[in-house]
Amino acid sequence: MDFEFFNETELEQMHRATVEILTKIGISTLSDRLKGLLLDNGCKEQGGRILFTEEVIEKALKTVPSNFNLYGRNGCELVIEMGKQKAYAQTCVGAPSVIDLETEEKRDATLKDLEDFAKLADALENIHLISPVFPRDVPQEIIVTSETAATLRYSSKPQRICAESSHELPYIIEVLAAAAGGMEALRQRPIAYIEVSTISPLNSGFHPAEALIDIVEAGIPLGIVPCPMMGATGPVTLAGCVAQHNAEILSSVVASQLLKPGAPVVMSPRVTFMDMKTGLGLWAMPEQGLAAAASAQLAKYYNIPSTVTGYSGAAKVADIQSGYEHLYNALLPALIGTDIIAAAGSLDNCLISCYAMLVIDDELSSVIRHTIAGCEVSEDTLAIDVIEEIVKTNEAFLGHKHTRKHLRAGAFWKPPIGDRSTYDSWAVNKMKLEDKARQKAKELLATHEVVPLSPEADAEIDEILKKALKESTNN
Amino acid sequence: MSQELLKNVLEAVVDGDVEAVTEFTEKAVAAGVKPLEILNEGLVKGIEVVGERFAEGDYFLPDLILGAKAMDAGISVIEPLLTSEKRDFLGKVMIGTVEGDLHDIGKNIVIMMLKSNGFEVFDLGVDVPSKVFVDKVKELKPQIVGISALLTTTVNKQKEIIELLQEEGLRDQVKVIIGGAPINQAWADKIGADGYGEDALSAVALCKNLLGIK
Repeated sequence: MDFEFFNETELEQMHRATVEILTKIGISTLSDRLKGLLLDNGCKEQGGRILFTEEVIEKALKTVPSNFNLYGRNGCELVIEMGKQKAYAQTCVGAPSVIDLETEEKRDATLKDLEDFAKLADALENIHLISPVFPRDVPQEIIVTSETAATLRYSSKPQRICAESSHELPYIIEVLAAAAGGMEALRQRPIAYIEVSTISPLNSGFHPAEALIDIVEAGIPLGIVPCPMMGATGPVTLAGCVAQHNAEILSSVVASQLLKPGAPVVMSPRVTFMDMKTGLGLWAMPEQGLAAAASAQLAKYYNIPSTVTGYSGAAKVADIQSGYEHLYNALLPALIGTDIIAAAGSLDNCLISCYAMLVIDDELSSVIRHTIAGCEVSEDTLAIDVIEEIVKTNEAFLGHKHTRKHLRAGAFWKPPIGDRSTYDSWAVNKMKLEDKARQKAKELLATHEVVPLSPEADAEIDEILKKALKESTNN
Repeated sequence: MSQELLKNVLEAVVDGDVEAVTEFTEKAVAAGVKPLEILNEGLVKGIEVVGERFAEGDYFLPDLILGAKAMDAGISVIEPLLTSEKRDFLGKVMIGTVEGDLHDIGKNIVIMMLKSNGFEVFDLGVDVPSKVFVDKVKELKPQIVGISALLTTTVNKQKEIIELLQEEGLRDQVKVIIGGAPINQAWADKIGADGYGEDALSAVALCKNLLGIK
């Protein structure tokens, strides 16, 4: 399959605009380490901003790996092949609220929810990477460390971590190393990638910049995930906002390569937009999906792995709106080509995580991955001899071995929960998709067993958490 | 002549045209129109029209912000002349983004909304240490302090600031309102804030409500 959002001339224009933004406007940062790194390598300081040069950008882009792998911890066979544009699904990060599975009401997210979402995602075949909800009932001083530890305990699948502050990073990396079997094992087979969210427009701040350096130095794959809003923290026009955003991401890509040529890095564009009546940040369709498709094509142009947010929308409950929003926003960038599609299970512009929606997104992920796998065109699939044989013998294709063979090989997509029964058999229970999703979530949470961490790793993580809490509250 | 100039000022505010507001305000001053009349009959009336059109669904946030900027441009022309005639504000609000957080778009919209609705607003900026919030409460004596936080790792600073205000014996002298994407009423209740708004528009009603203004 081969789709494009920009034609060749437009793509070149987008790249030129990106370079112009980086060389003329540049970035700001409060981190002396990042500033020093960039200036020592040929960038220039002007009026408090750091301006890149074309040479620096070109040189750095040459050393970015076009692919690398992520792995599950013990008990997980999954290998995430970054760079092959397989559209893996990842759960939503940081939702402060959840829709309660029993009451179906919105409430604050807790540690138990983090554990349950991780467990449910662990059980769902088409959800591949886990990011945590935002629990209020853990020590806030070490929140990301606690989230990482809890996610590791309740899922063996690879993780995506957002390092919102830099002070926790050493602990987060220690926890990951404990689960991976040591620091060297973690570098060889990373069980997570860690993202930094620089600030739009074109500001690397302090914490994101410091975390960026620490992540690259630790040898863990780095993701860069600024989040401009069209019309508020970026231009209202899609081309302008995508260009600014691309420059923001590339500035950090360049920094990673100046620090350590060949360091694995992921471009994670998140162009959102603002509701011009209320000021709400929208992660809705169609703008989000279009911008994600546009940005994913730019990452492809640079041959750098990418992630987007696709399983998102403005709907407040798992319903028809959330279904079409998520399908639209995820399918568009998937058709262009991206590695990971984020925010599975989200509602309300990524501010709510919903168990039923996660089960529905598992279904969408399944059909999206089936779609982008494309269609093999060969002598066998064209089946001219089969057609000839059937026509001449006046038989039906139904009874041909060719039909059976390809059916067994997955010729038709099978919906994990979508209804395809006859009307009368459906009418026995008259269940809507949302009801079936809730039912499946409850069943999986009751029956799924997560492969536990080794007792040694579990004990080690406990010690790290204790140490982190002690050191963080002393400061 | 003066009526015509006041109309020009009003319309320029409605258009959100900074240059035109400045030009017509200067012309009105030169023509001898009283500064307070320019303020009330031109600038404030203009921003009221902007507010009405927003309420009716014809105007959007960029219109509001451009309108407020245009009004501000006119005020800066007449402010030096208003020495004896003080502006009447609905109330004094101080607002900032907590330490460790550089996000300010939501805070800035709230500021514009409050200003264009007649509040005096002091902007502390972003990455503001908790102690600075408290020191500024002492110095500026606002009736309301607004605390903004976007990151899940920084929302706890809202709690810290309220605790510090308590320790310094200032808590009963100022109303505390909070905002930010991960914030909700339950969090506001938990940390003892006086109010929370789920978007920038609700901030105006919230502040009026807290100060007993109808």
